[in-house]
This record gives sequence, C-alpha cells and structure tokens, in this order.
Amino acid sequence: MQFDSFTFLAFFALVLAGYNALRDWGARKWLLLVASYVFYSAWNPPFLLLLLGSTTLDWLVARRIDAAEDPRRRKLWVIATLLINLGVLGYFKYSQFLLDNFAAALASAGINYAPPAFDIVLPIGISFYTFHSLSYCIDIYRRRFKPTASWRDYALYVGFFPQLVAGPITRFTQMREQIETPRSTTSAGLGMGLALLILGLFEKIVLADSVFAPIANAYFDAPGTADSAAAWTGVLAFSGQIFCDFAGYSSCALGSALALGFVLPTNFRNPYAAVGFSDFWRRWHISLSSWLRDYLYISLGGNRGGEWRTLRNLMLTMLIGGLWHGAAWTFVIWGGLHGFYLVLERTVRAHLWPARWNNAVLRFAYAIITLLGVCTAWAWFRATDVSQGWQIMLSLFDLHAAATGIGQLGPSQLTVLVTFSLLVLVHALFRNSGPIPWFSRLPAPLLGLLLGLMTAMIVLSPGDNHAFIYFQF
Amino acid sequence: MVCFFCALVAVAVCVGTELHWRSLGYEPGIIDSKLLWAEQRDQVDARDSRTPLVILGASRIEFSIDMDILEAVLPRYRPVMLAINGHYPLAVLRDLAEDEDFNGVVLCDIDARGLSAHYFDMQQPYVDYHRKQWTPSWRVHRRALDLWQSTAVIANPDFGLLPTLLRWSGGRANPWKSHIRFHRDRSADIDFQRVDTAAATQAFVDGFKRRLQSDPPPSPEQWLAGLAEVGNWVEQIKRRGGEVIFYDTPTSGKLREYADEAFPPSLYWERLSATIHAPALRYTEISALEDIPLADGSHLDFRNKSEYTHALVDALADRGWVQR
Repeated sequence: MQFDSFTFLAFFALVLAGYNALRDWGARKWLLLVASYVFYSAWNPPFLLLLLGSTTLDWLVARRIDAAEDPRRRKLWVIATLLINLGVLGYFKYSQFLLDNFAAALASAGINYAPPAFDIVLPIGISFYTFHSLSYCIDIYRRRFKPTASWRDYALYVGFFPQLVAGPITRFTQMREQIETPRSTTSAGLGMGLALLILGLFEKIVLADSVFAPIANAYFDAPGTADSAAAWTGVLAFSGQIFCDFAGYSSCALGSALALGFVLPTNFRNPYAAVGFSDFWRRWHISLSSWLRDYLYISLGGNRGGEWRTLRNLMLTMLIGGLWHGAAWTFVIWGGLHGFYLVLERTVRAHLWPARWNNAVLRFAYAIITLLGVCTAWAWFRATDVSQGWQIMLSLFDLHAAATGIGQLGPSQLTVLVTFSLLVLVHALFRNSGPIPWFSRLPAPLLGLLLGLMTAMIVLSPGDNHAFIYFQF
Repeated sequence: MVCFFCALVAVAVCVGTELHWRSLGYEPGIIDSKLLWAEQRDQVDARDSRTPLVILGASRIEFSIDMDILEAVLPRYRPVMLAINGHYPLAVLRDLAEDEDFNGVVLCDIDARGLSAHYFDMQQPYVDYHRKQWTPSWRVHRRALDLWQSTAVIANPDFGLLPTLLRWSGGRANPWKSHIRFHRDRSADIDFQRVDTAAATQAFVDGFKRRLQSDPPPSPEQWLAGLAEVGNWVEQIKRRGGEVIFYDTPTSGKLREYADEAFPPSLYWERLSATIHAPALRYTEISALEDIPLADGSHLDFRNKSEYTHALVDALADRGWVQR
C-alpha cells in the first residue's frame, strides 16, 4: 500500500495501537512482521510467497556460510545465494530486456527472430529486498558479524514495512540491535515521526504530484512538440518530481519507523546543493550508493590497483547502478553519464585542480555545474527510449531557443521553475543539516504552524494518486 | 503543543476553504475515475446467484439508466455500470470476452461510428489499470475516497490549492458548477435545469461535426471488415453461456440528422446483425424511447431516467433478451 493513501493511514493507526497494546517484545515483533506482510500483500498477494521464500532461503544460507569452516565451501554458499537472488531478480526484471536485445543483435546479423512477449509482472520492492538479503549474506561471508538464529528477526529486518518496497536499504548492523532490544513508541519519537510523515506526504502529494508531475508528464509524453525553454522546464520538473517523490517516500519511511521506535538511516541529504558529483552521490539515495560502494565497487577492486582500474571500477559501478534502476538502455546511459562525471571529476581533481582554486566562487560555480549535469542526466532516466533521449538533449542545448522561449512559458511552467528554484535554495540553506535537527530547533508554536500548513496543503491537493516512481525498480 | 497547533491550523485552513467554496454554491460529489471504474469491474465477478448485467457504452447510457430501478425490475440480474463518458466501449467488451469467468449479459450502448475499428481501444487504459494497478490497497482507499468526496467540496481537484492559485493569478473564473452528479455505482444524473440547453445542444452538434471532419467515416466495407473481430469477442462470451446486446441509444434534432447522414443506417447499423450473431436494438424501433425528450439532442434530464429505464427494460424483455 502507498503511504499517500487512506488505506495506509488506517493501517498505520491500527499497527501503532496494536504495537503499543502488546507488552511482550517477541509478540510486538511478530505483530510488526505480520503487519509488514499485510502491507506487502496489499499490492499483489501471491508475491508474498516469493518474499517469504527468498527470506527463508537467505536466512538458511547465511547460517550455512557461517557454519562452514572450509573457505571453498563458504565461497560456494555465497556464490549460490548470489546466483539465486540475482537469478530471480534477473528473471523478473531483465529477461524481456535480454531477449529483446538478443533479437536485435540477431536482426543486425540478418536473422529474424521475434521473442515471445513474457508480460512479466515485477514483484514490487524486489530490487530492494534482494539487496537487503545480499548485503546480509555477503557480510556473514566477510565475517562482519554472526548470523541471527531467529528467522523472525531476520524476516523483520528484510520485511519491515516502512522500508520494504523502496528503502532505505538498511544493513543488518544498523537494524540488529534495534530488532533485538525491546523498544516502544515514545512521545518524542511519535511526534518527530508524525512530523516526518507530514513532510514526506507534503513532498510527495503537494510538490511531486501536484506541481512537478503534470508538467514533467506533459513534456515527456510529447517532447518533439516542445521548444528548448519547454524542454528545460520539463526536465527541471522531472528533476523536482523525482527528488520530492523519492525523498518524500524516504521521509515517510523514516517517520513511520521512528513512531514505532526504530531509526532508519537518512537516505537524502539536500542533494541539489551538492558541490561535485561524488558529493551528489553522498547525498542522493545514500543507502544505495553506499551499498554499491561496499558490495560492488570494492568487490571490483575499488581504488586498489592504480588510477585506471579505479576509474574503470567507478564506471562499471555506475553502469550497473543504472541498470539496477530498470531494464532499459536509457538507465544504462544515465548510469554511464554519472560514471563519466565521476571519472572526469576524479581526474580533474587529481591532476588539474589546484587546492587554491577551492574558493567560494568556484565552489558556487561547480555547484551549478553539478546541478545542471544531474538534471541533464535525469532526462535520460525519464526518457522512454534512446531516440527520445537524444531528441531531448538536442532541445536542451539549443540555448538561443531556450532564451527566446522563456517569455512564452505558461503559469504552470513558471510555477515549476519557481518551485524548483525554491527547492534548490532550501537544499543550499540546509546543506549540512536535515529535517530532524531543524524541526527540533523550532519553537513549538512555529513548528505546529508549519506542520499545520503542510497538512492543510496536503488535504487541499487532491488528485490522481501517482505510484511512487521508485516502486517500479 | 506542536500537535495542538498543527491540528488547529490544518483544521482552520481546510474548514475555512470548504466554507468559502460552499458559500459560492458549490457542493461535494463523487468524481468518476479509473479507481471507481475498477471497483465496479470487480462487481462483474462478484459471487451471488444473480447474472451480471454489464452496461457498456459512453455518456448516453451512463447518464440515462436508473440503476436502482434496473435492479428492482430485473431481480435476476446484478447491474454493473462500466460505461465511460466520452469513450466508445469495445475495449471493455474485449476484456469481458477474454475473462474466462464471465458469462453474463452485456448491454452495449454503441452507434455505428463507435463500431469503427479506429475506436476499439478508447477504453483500454481503464482495462489496463484494472489488470495491472488495481490492488486490495486501492480498493480500501477508493471506499474511503467515496466518503470523503461525498462530504467535502475540497476533495475535488478543481478546488485544489494549485489550480485555485493558477486561476487567481491568471484572472480566470471559478470552476464550472457541474450539472452532472455521479453516484457510487458510476451512474450519473444530469440536471438540465442548470444549463443553457440551447448552447449545450449547439456545442454538441458543433463538436460532432468537427469530429466527423477530422475523422471521416470509414467506407461501409471497411466498417464491416472491422466487425469480424467484434464478432469473435461476442462468440467467446456466447460460448460460455453469456449474451451481448448492441443498443444504439436515442439522439434527436441536428445531431441525429448529421449522424444518419454520416453513417446511413441502411449501410451501417442495419448490417450489424448480419455480421455479428447478437441481438441489436436501435432506438427508432421503440416508440416509448423516442418520446422521451433529449435536452441536448443526446442526453436526458435525470427526471426522465425512470421512464427511460422502464421503457428500455420493456423493450429488452419483450424481445426475450432479458428475463424479468
């Protein structure tokens, strides 16, 4: 179920009441696990079996890895779990993509082959819970910690409903103590949790769905008919939409977990105020970028083995990260573009960027370059195919048309530009802070006023419910 | 303290906004959507002893049938409204044909133009939504939304914050006070006392003429060729014990003249039953239906829905196509 639905409000109120009515910690954990499975089943009940199967298998395999003394045996078990998890993910997410590309490759060799249409429904959240499971098994293999003996505790780590379908991708080390130590709702946690929930719903319903989505959708549905100014507006609208949609989801996840006494890791830290692309990835979808760093980049060799290998590993990590988002070449290009940015930045910093250039003006200029680079890359992320992506790129870089077209933008498009500018300004002002410390510093009446206005704006922004963008990944 | 201020501000702003719109004469009402349609689509498969009587079509039948009367006079049937305003219905007929569990009766409001292959997919987005996105979670959400929309004007997106700000900044008028009122079962009432019927009629006629110009009729042969596919869907339903009744709903005045001129019945509609083995009924065959006034040449006022529903049921029952 979505956070921005009446169903979730009723569900969360019931879970919160039931959780606090129970005294025994074990019973509370069972309640949370059952609630999490109800939450997941509300989309497509049969896929609960897949989640249960994957959870149980990885829990068992992790115990086997830990019990095995022979390094070769341990390696076999970890390879087995990698193959199974990535095989299931690959079947659901990439089989049609691979088949279509195989057919295209054959066609280029003059062989006609029409692949069957699989029409596979992607189990929601599979990319996220697969990464949870993989990190657990790999960490056991690396002997970072001992596996849990409790299936329930492990299942709750994977399936805890606030983070089940779109993250943050937590590590077992971040959740173990919280799951094993009794906790309950506190008034401070509940208050901050509800404040984060309101902030998340505001970002999703008011900003992403009401302000940004209509302009982004209108542009990406027919980019050929738009001029350069409209193209920039459409791309900035999507840049605003994807941040508010995903950060909104993460705020709701953090908020609902906090109300239950759990602390999830921060997933966004004002990314549109990043100075540089590596800084951007320390601020955007932090749990994914740190996962990719720890389990992919480092496994590929990281920065060991010289400069070229480091740059190759960076590029490979970003390409695979792009493909993780979806089975399409547009996602690969998006990842490749970010890989290129990171490689370029690393090279320039190592060889061309003297330390004395690190002044405020240059930092500001680099922040603008970073923002424009990130937004341009989003065009590939949202494009329906590669040809549409190129078409958008050509529109974006027709700067003369962009300058002349600004005067012809309508009120909705201007609203997008103003709102996006305000969003970037907020990111810049709170660059090294987050909502929790900021909310904590505000006087109670002012915080109440702010949250009340946000709630009113949420209520006063009815419309079609849009699925969270990251649910499709 | 924070909660108190938050609730106070939120309630004050929302109640104040609601009272503002109500003071201007606006009323709450159900808003038709893919979710509401999907909720009714589920009703087709509901398990009870009655046969589903699925109403397909567009606004003419959606705004004309009194669902309570239909249910009362045809107790053996479970009426389900799947007609969609402004969309020809054949995609949903195809969906029902592909539904292996469906063996009910389909009353399909369609005219000769709507049977052109060009329009087969108009309602497909609704079918896709039901097949791919409709979940138990949205079902619960939609129930709550029905209640919220029936209670508050501010539940209508037209009165949302952003549309209102854009209207104010652009100096545009407040939203149109709709003369159409939807029910939870997706049927709807039109109150023609609230509109300028002459202007509405003219707008309809002008719109129809424009559409005929931009999308001219197919030749009768092309039209008939396209029907083969429809015939297959009908056969699929009939093989499972179901039935499909095609029904061309009444029009009058200029609209009727233009429609008959563009699609002469002798070349189009009257050749339907020769191609598709299913009952077909045209309004000209039922004098009781022809006598009911159509305020805009296409739709009837809600005050005439009872008379219309009885006349239609009589016509269907007299021909043995439904049992009382």
